[in-house]
Amino acid sequence: MPIEVTGLNYSYKKGTPFEKKVLYDVHLRINDGEVVGIIGPTQSGKTTLAQHFNALFIPQSGKVIVNGINTADKKADLVKLRHEVGYVFQNPDYQLFASCVGEDIAFGPRNQGLPSEDVAARVKEAMSQVGLDYDTFYSRDIFALSGGQKRRTAIAGVLACKPKTLVLDDITAGLDPRGRDEILAVVKRLHSEKQITIIYISNSMDEIAELAERVIVIDQGRIAFDDLKINVFNQPEKLRDIGLELPELMTLAIDLHQQGFNIDPALLKFDEILQSILDSLQEGQVRE
Amino acid sequence: MELTKNITLGVYLPGNTAVHRLDPRTKIIASTILIVILLLINSYQAYGYFFLFISAVIAAAGIPPGYALRGLKPMLPVLVLMWAFQLFLHSSPDADVIFSWWIFSATDAGLHLGNMITLRVLFLFTVTTILTLTTSIVSLTDGLESLLRPLKKIGLPTQELVMTMVIALRFVLILAEELDKIVKAQMARGVAFDRGNFIQKTRKIFPVFLPLFINAFRRAEDLIVAMESRSYTGGKGRTKMKTLHMGRVDIACILIILLFTGLMVLTIFT
Repeated sequence: MPIEVTGLNYSYKKGTPFEKKVLYDVHLRINDGEVVGIIGPTQSGKTTLAQHFNALFIPQSGKVIVNGINTADKKADLVKLRHEVGYVFQNPDYQLFASCVGEDIAFGPRNQGLPSEDVAARVKEAMSQVGLDYDTFYSRDIFALSGGQKRRTAIAGVLACKPKTLVLDDITAGLDPRGRDEILAVVKRLHSEKQITIIYISNSMDEIAELAERVIVIDQGRIAFDDLKINVFNQPEKLRDIGLELPELMTLAIDLHQQGFNIDPALLKFDEILQSILDSLQEGQVRE
Repeated sequence: MELTKNITLGVYLPGNTAVHRLDPRTKIIASTILIVILLLINSYQAYGYFFLFISAVIAAAGIPPGYALRGLKPMLPVLVLMWAFQLFLHSSPDADVIFSWWIFSATDAGLHLGNMITLRVLFLFTVTTILTLTTSIVSLTDGLESLLRPLKKIGLPTQELVMTMVIALRFVLILAEELDKIVKAQMARGVAFDRGNFIQKTRKIFPVFLPLFINAFRRAEDLIVAMESRSYTGGKGRTKMKTLHMGRVDIACILIILLFTGLMVLTIFT
């Protein structure tokens, strides 16, 4: 289900003295099966843009068409659309409300009106997808969860609706490194095993470099870049002007390359860089 | 979807008009007088004068009239319900029945009462909104505190009371923002808040309030820690960075309010 955005503009508190324009003439298209990273400084309009994808915002001007459905169409079935484009929010505390993990995950499928056996099956599947053990966690109190477990519950709650596209809005914010790695692994698995289209919003260049193929950089409500990640990262000065740094791994690879290691600075994944460091050490190619 | 768009209570609209520059005490006293007048007036003529006066204040304060009224939008259903209650349930022996429907009958006295009460609430809301739109939270606190100072002598913790009130006012917007996020998170999982009958709609509210209250308590705790870590121990011995003083503008305002009060007293008692 491709998402097509044409000429999108949006202002907050439109028609009041506090009116603030957040999106300016945005055009983009996201195809099935893509992993797209959206990055930009805080307040750049990332979330506002992404919440247009599942019709939480309706365009004030321009069009958003999701799988052929115009979100501004009064007759469109937005509930169905929101099940197809799942949205995981930054702060799980806004999303989780049920007494236990399983009940919370069941909330979405129940809203779809599924019979209870199907709901149970969906919950079980969603929990295994995010790596939460069904027997251990089903009746666990939401408040007894760690930060990473809360995020995984939130993701499972959305996965249980069987979305074809998943929007992940800064879901690693405030997590410790282990929690963050677990979440990233879940996202990678969802894409490789289920072919779910992933739209990954983040402030972290490293996470974007790790996950996405295509990167959309948003600056003050406008699209600054929309390209393959390597083409985006090849323009560090422009990124710096926007207030973004290159991924740390890429900086490391460039430094090592300049020091004489046989490393391609275009490698952006931790494993690949590690492997080529080991390779070049073995080959003894390092200039003293 | 933006829930905070229609909230004007507790919002400060910065500006540099005479109304903005008034001493907060003047504004609080003036608003109180206007509220007392509102509670006493009982005729369309009086409300007419009141409307003209309030419009002049809104114009002088540079508030876009549409914005001043925007806050009323979410209250509309309540106002209509209130009006209907007065219309149908007020009974007095010498009232004429306008029309009847099922077991209800509307009387002219009920209609009059309904109109008066609705107008009263509308204007009460507008007066308070104008006060908060033109007065920043800090000066509102200072003003209230200064006005309530005499009550300290009888042992009332005025500083704490004012602080509590101001925090509550500030929380209106914060909670509305949180509500906005929670509602969206629920909509994202397929809740259609606008579908279903009254009972179905009401049932959908519960999953929204639970996280809202939990987050509100969490916020309150954070606020306590933040205040304590900056050595807040209550009102005793606190001094002010900005001291209040009344100027010519304030005297002019008080004169205008007195004149208006005179006019209203005349309309009420003749």
